[in-house]
Amino acid sequence: MTTVTRSAIGFLPRADFQRLIDLLSEDDRTVIGPTVADGAIVYGEVRAVSDLPRGIGAEQAPGSYRLVDRGNDLLFAYTVGPTSWKRFVFPPTLAVSRSHRDEDGHVSFGPVPKEIPKLAFLGVRACELAALGVEDRVFLGGPYTDEDYRARRTRSLVVAVQCAEPAGTCFCTSMGTGPGVRSGHDLLLIELDDGFVVTAGSPVGSAILDQLDLEEASADQITAGSDQLAAARQRIGDPVVAAGLHDRLMAKLDSPRWADVAERCLACTNCTASCPTCFCTSVSQRSDLDGQTSVTERRWESCFTKGFSTVALGGNFRPRVQDRYRQWLTHKFATWIDQFGTSGCVGCGRCITWCPVGIDVREELNVIAPPPQVVLGNGKGSEAHSPRTSVFRVDAARRETQDTVTLTLSTPSGIDWSKLHGEFVMVSVPAVGSVPISISRRLPTGMELTIRGVGPASTILTGLGHGAEVGLSAPLGRGWPVDMAEDHDVLIVGGGMGLPPLRPVVDEIIEHRAKFGEVRIYHGARTPGDLLYAEELARWAARGDLEVGVTVDRADATWLGRVGVVTHLFDHARWDGTKAIAFVCGPERMIQATVTTLALHGVTSDRIFVSMERHMECGVGLCGHCQMGPYFVCKDGPVFSLAQLGDVFGREGI
Amino acid sequence: MGRAATTPRPRLGVVKLASCDGCQLMLLDLEDELLAIAERIDIVEFPEASTHRSSGPYDVVLVEGSVSTPEQLEQILEVRREAKLLVTIGACATAGGIQAMRNWREHDAFRAAVYAHPEYVDSLATAQPVADYVKVDAELRGCPISAEQLVEFVTALLTGRRANLPDEAVCADCKRAGRVCVMVARGIPCLGPVTMTGCGSLCPGFDRGCYACFGPREQANVASLSREFIRTGLPPVEAGRLFAGFTGYAEPFRALVTELGGVPGTTAVPHAASAADTAAARPGGTR
Repeated sequence: MTTVTRSAIGFLPRADFQRLIDLLSEDDRTVIGPTVADGAIVYGEVRAVSDLPRGIGAEQAPGSYRLVDRGNDLLFAYTVGPTSWKRFVFPPTLAVSRSHRDEDGHVSFGPVPKEIPKLAFLGVRACELAALGVEDRVFLGGPYTDEDYRARRTRSLVVAVQCAEPAGTCFCTSMGTGPGVRSGHDLLLIELDDGFVVTAGSPVGSAILDQLDLEEASADQITAGSDQLAAARQRIGDPVVAAGLHDRLMAKLDSPRWADVAERCLACTNCTASCPTCFCTSVSQRSDLDGQTSVTERRWESCFTKGFSTVALGGNFRPRVQDRYRQWLTHKFATWIDQFGTSGCVGCGRCITWCPVGIDVREELNVIAPPPQVVLGNGKGSEAHSPRTSVFRVDAARRETQDTVTLTLSTPSGIDWSKLHGEFVMVSVPAVGSVPISISRRLPTGMELTIRGVGPASTILTGLGHGAEVGLSAPLGRGWPVDMAEDHDVLIVGGGMGLPPLRPVVDEIIEHRAKFGEVRIYHGARTPGDLLYAEELARWAARGDLEVGVTVDRADATWLGRVGVVTHLFDHARWDGTKAIAFVCGPERMIQATVTTLALHGVTSDRIFVSMERHMECGVGLCGHCQMGPYFVCKDGPVFSLAQLGDVFGREGI
Repeated sequence: MGRAATTPRPRLGVVKLASCDGCQLMLLDLEDELLAIAERIDIVEFPEASTHRSSGPYDVVLVEGSVSTPEQLEQILEVRREAKLLVTIGACATAGGIQAMRNWREHDAFRAAVYAHPEYVDSLATAQPVADYVKVDAELRGCPISAEQLVEFVTALLTGRRANLPDEAVCADCKRAGRVCVMVARGIPCLGPVTMTGCGSLCPGFDRGCYACFGPREQANVASLSREFIRTGLPPVEAGRLFAGFTGYAEPFRALVTELGGVPGTTAVPHAASAADTAAARPGGTR
């Protein structure tokens, strides 16, 4: 590592390319590379430069492949053809074991001896390197491994060639596998008009590079290589939005598009066989007539055949083609990630080109699992709403505590705001900015917001009087699933400013009181002076059908009620949590303590809903601030079930 | 274990209906295996090999040919009574064969056009696959059948395991063999995607489209494939004709042929072009 050899980045004139082939061929190594055969560029044995497809390219489109003579001297100016390197490390048919039963009935089992060839793969593209990496994980990731694959893989040299001619079916950019070669190669060639920029990617490659003893590549040549890559990347674009594809796809197992694609799909298995990562196999026995000697033969199989998912007595788990297509697509782009930590797709486009009826996986993905839209949902269910800002006027400002005010806001929009779902609004004050505030009461003409002045913006808001105007987004986020609480006992626990977001829950329960079982409302505040909605709490308690408990951390001379943390209000009480659903909001410490107490009373995590607080900047899942594990608190929450949060909940530093 | 020595040798018969005898010949062509098979099986009836005739009962009967005459109909009903296991072999027995093309047309007109004395010819109006008349226990497809599949079937029979017969498209064999798809790379119409493999993807290996000798595979999506033929330039009637070959009478080929008007002998095309001629005549379909 201390000396940079003269050949770290070499230049190999095209006229000298045979030298590389000869070097690769040493030690009885067979060079496999691009050759023209049967109307396509296929991988076959390469002995001489003349075996390579000089000046030949290929036009590719869904269901179509045609060779074209480009009339130049380039040896690698084509995109991947029908062959993939899978064939050489994972043969289409392979005798895997042998069994024997002798005259006395003794049986024996053993391997089939075979010679693993030493190969050099010449012309491996970035997507194909990625595919080999995927196969490595599949076959060698354990706990069981495919030792035949390992032997073939380790006995093969990999000479990558940078992609300069992406096809119309390529989408490596979307899958993050290309077009640039990053790792996994022994040598990398970048083909320019008059020769190749050559670099090594492994010690073996370095040794070959040293033997080639090349002139150093010029700065211009290296720049030309970079430009070539940038041009290739630009040509491909980004046809599939891969971010979030796993979840988007798995959420669409009932898409009507599966039936639509099955109407076109031939289930002919060309996609899976062309795919450089599809790895499914079947085994069969080849025996002599007496069944004494038998060889177990493994061969490429496809999830598109009936036999693939047939069980004894003829039952079949995926009887329809739409079932099989869904299996393939969801495995390739989603569940593969769960199994192997990587997508099964490298974006080489073979399944698109070699589909006889041109089914384009890029299009199917974009239809079945469309990329997230910038415009949010349309108000159905608890989907987030468009964040457009509307002007609201303050109708009343009621001081709750020394630093907390409840604003009643309305807008003459004619929209019934009480019907809009969503948990919070972004409140905007010109020149000051926006803050997320939970809705503390829904009103037909607007809403109430209870705001504690803690920062500049919220302090300005608490100072607003009658007639003042502010901007409000439509209600955002997922709120409390009150409908789930029907026919349950309900426990509502609000610590400090955690009570205002829960007040609409209480309102809704009171409106439909008969639908719910026993309802308990607990509120804890720092001091008696910090208690919110004191009169209202008293009214609730006076109804007789709501149990209301209030506690403070620190009492003063006037306080005759309970002192202590809010969990003390119900941890010793005799109540049955197995029929209860709980809504909890407050500081995270308080939520954790509450959750622990609830669990002890038998409330399971799927029936505990908590509102999480994070730094919210945009409110619509775009700025990235409020991420909590896999979630955006603003968009996916702020209300989550504890089960949904899993071990993200309570974890430090999340 | 000396299975052959201790187990009674199964009695096997070969029966021929309307056919060319090509599938029986495949049995005779098993030069390496035939003697070994004959040691383990009593071949009691095999008209192509021996004039010696024996009646049933049989453990296994291989039936070649379609049911085309009243006599053959009686024969197959008799064979079914005598056979424990009735196995149809070849496109004629399993799908009706090339002679089933007449099923789309007026039988008497054909008979009058072909024979000098049609009154001597006693044939049924249609040539039907065997399964249309009697229960069939297993089938070996193809025109002719595959020697490899025949050996596999006999071996499985003798060893008591399930025969390993494919249920996948010809494409699967093309891809395993590393053949370049003639449809995608050359625009040659190919029935491989809807055809049961078993031939070793023979025709695509010679730059031809598949003729569907082995017949339709399960859930053969002929609608989509024919749409693609038409989309890429084939007139619908010619697309239909491609499916009207050796196994054209088997569903879903039959319905498609009827729908697209590719019924044999009914189009304005000067003479009934074969699939390969049609393919070769297409732009981009030359070899």
